[in-house]
Amino acid sequence: MIDVGSFRAQSCRGLSRRSFLRLGAAVPAALGATGLLAPQQTALANAKARAKSTILVWLWGAPSHVDTLDPKPDALAQYRGPFAPIATKTPGVFYSELLPKLAQRSDRYTLVRSNVSTMPGHPDAGTLGLTGFPEKPEPVQPNFGSIIAKHRGHHGSLPPFVMVGTGIPRDVVRKVDGYGGGTLGKLWDPFPVSCSDTGQVSIPALQLLDGLNPNRIADRKSLLGQVDAAERQLKQAGFEDWNRQYQQAYGLLTNAQARAAFDLTQELEGTRDEYGQTTFGQSCLMARRLVEARVPYVQVNWSEYVESITPNCDFGWDTHIYNFEMLQDTHCPIFDRAFSALLDDLERRGLLDTTLVVAMGEFGRTPRINSRAARDHWPQCYFSIWAGAGLPRGRVIGQSDKYGENPVTDPITPLMVGTTMCELAGLDTQARAELNVLNGGRVIHELMS
Amino acid sequence: MRYAVGAIAISLVLSGAAASNADEPRRLTIDGHVKRDPVFAKADGSELIFTMLEKPTQLRLMKLNLKTQQVAAVHPEETRSEFEATVSADGRYLAFVQNRGNLSLALVIKDLAENKQADIPPQGGFSGMHCPAIAPDLSRVIYSYPEDGRQHLFECNLRAEQRRRLVDSEGVNNWPHFAADGSRVVFGSSRDDDYEIYVMRPDGTDARRLTHSPGQDIRPKFSPDGKRIAFTSNRDGNYEIYLMQADGSGVQRLTNNPEQDDCACWHPDGRSLIVVSERKGRHDLYQIAVP
Repeated sequence: MIDVGSFRAQSCRGLSRRSFLRLGAAVPAALGATGLLAPQQTALANAKARAKSTILVWLWGAPSHVDTLDPKPDALAQYRGPFAPIATKTPGVFYSELLPKLAQRSDRYTLVRSNVSTMPGHPDAGTLGLTGFPEKPEPVQPNFGSIIAKHRGHHGSLPPFVMVGTGIPRDVVRKVDGYGGGTLGKLWDPFPVSCSDTGQVSIPALQLLDGLNPNRIADRKSLLGQVDAAERQLKQAGFEDWNRQYQQAYGLLTNAQARAAFDLTQELEGTRDEYGQTTFGQSCLMARRLVEARVPYVQVNWSEYVESITPNCDFGWDTHIYNFEMLQDTHCPIFDRAFSALLDDLERRGLLDTTLVVAMGEFGRTPRINSRAARDHWPQCYFSIWAGAGLPRGRVIGQSDKYGENPVTDPITPLMVGTTMCELAGLDTQARAELNVLNGGRVIHELMS
Repeated sequence: MRYAVGAIAISLVLSGAAASNADEPRRLTIDGHVKRDPVFAKADGSELIFTMLEKPTQLRLMKLNLKTQQVAAVHPEETRSEFEATVSADGRYLAFVQNRGNLSLALVIKDLAENKQADIPPQGGFSGMHCPAIAPDLSRVIYSYPEDGRQHLFECNLRAEQRRRLVDSEGVNNWPHFAADGSRVVFGSSRDDDYEIYVMRPDGTDARRLTHSPGQDIRPKFSPDGKRIAFTSNRDGNYEIYLMQADGSGVQRLTNNPEQDDCACWHPDGRSLIVVSERKGRHDLYQIAVP
């Protein structure tokens, strides 16, 4: 028996009760060897892709670049902050003392210090950061993950674009419009999952199967009846994309390999320890499992995981107050441990050369300390981390000015980020043109050579 | 600006470091959730209060009975995050930080005997108080609050009135803690560069720097007899608990854990510390003997 998860429907009318599915042999048997689904369109992974899989660690809320990976120890006191720089394995490169593990691993990835955005607010900048384009004018462009998912197509029972996190990132105003398929359609939206610090997995799509507890399913006929009932409920609830989610959920139910990809209990305890017994740590471990299962694109959201001074808001790294305390006490230690473990684990398993791992937020934070002794939004300059996929290692690309306010080298835009990610995933200029995505984007050549 | 110990030197430093003087730590909690800020709630050392990240969206104040090792919520019905608790020496007052909205935090002072509560609400916009400390004579509460781009130490009385700025310096001032006789307050500050430990009179005067090391020296706590100070430092490349004499001399490393040790709290008998120790990625409270 595999504990797949605990699910609580939150928004679908008539589907609000709690269920807990313990999946065993009964379910595949009841559904039949071929399952209930219509065959999915399947495409082979692009053989030219340097990145068979891509992991985007999305540091929602926007981490302070000057307190983490682009410290300015010689800046004036009103800019500098209280953290000391530490040496890294890259000669002459220093990080904040809050990230010692990443400093020890600087020879395994490339750091970009010249990312720029043009949007000062979270949802707008989130869309820009995830799609390469602003929300306006409409239509909203697709998430980089949706582009790669469509290029690769559905492969087996696992969705091609999985988003690990507690739903779509949002702040108090609204969610990020660019979270999903955009112009490519909802079929290429991410498949959301999340897991707790104890490794318990939640798959919201399986809310649709609420009531299909194997203990209540005697045979295939009974199951089909319940599916029909659930479908009627979904239609009444106005659930737009029930069909896709239904298919994906059933794919998980009927395929043991697919279910196993989400089962963190199959990991050695020592491996789970390495990532840290935090929600974000276990989410990064989930990403590695999904890469092993050949999911083309995984987006790990840092959202509700640790930003607990403001319940019910996905502020993430949005440290308008308590910047220094939160970075020191929670965010940096958790990120430092989990992201380092992810790199170690992928390397150890021989997956890093075929997996692109990128970590970034939607912008940076004000180099000048604000009136509340913290930092506000700063789209003019921030960082991104690039590892794997055969990219050169141990380098820093781009440079910011003496306060970290602006790049003094060529700026790296979100469109360039997305174009590079897609290029590494096998979408060359022609493929992007055929999908009519990332128009005008260029690859970050400095990163590739 | 001085540079902290380089990360690549960490393994060398640790392998060459002197062995810990502490006896084998005693594990007090087993859930592994992220924890912070343990403080004794009773003078006989029978009960602790600490902050726990109970779920991703809530920090909760918990109490631990050290005899039974039972853990329970201090405010079981509370849905807002609460953290950084402190208890008066007589156990009557409990002060802590409470979330009141989006990035808005209040300072709450509860009179447990009278079941009354006073607070300093958020000041509008994004704002929040930090780390209250209650004077042993119950004359005041000192806390940290940011204004004008710096983070100062303020004081108020136990009715959360007569608010006054005590310490006005560059940088961040935080983690105030009273000596048991009320004659001094130890705190952390980045006024001179990175975080160091300072001591001052309770009225904010005569601030003196006690530590001089690269990296962070934070969260100082006076021993019950006022002769020593426990604090957290990453001077050796990793967060460990250190001890020093109250004048800053005789710095001694107490823990030697490849993961983080932090948030030291003296047992009332002065013979041990409660610390938050990260081991195998889990955060639990441990009791360690003090030499």
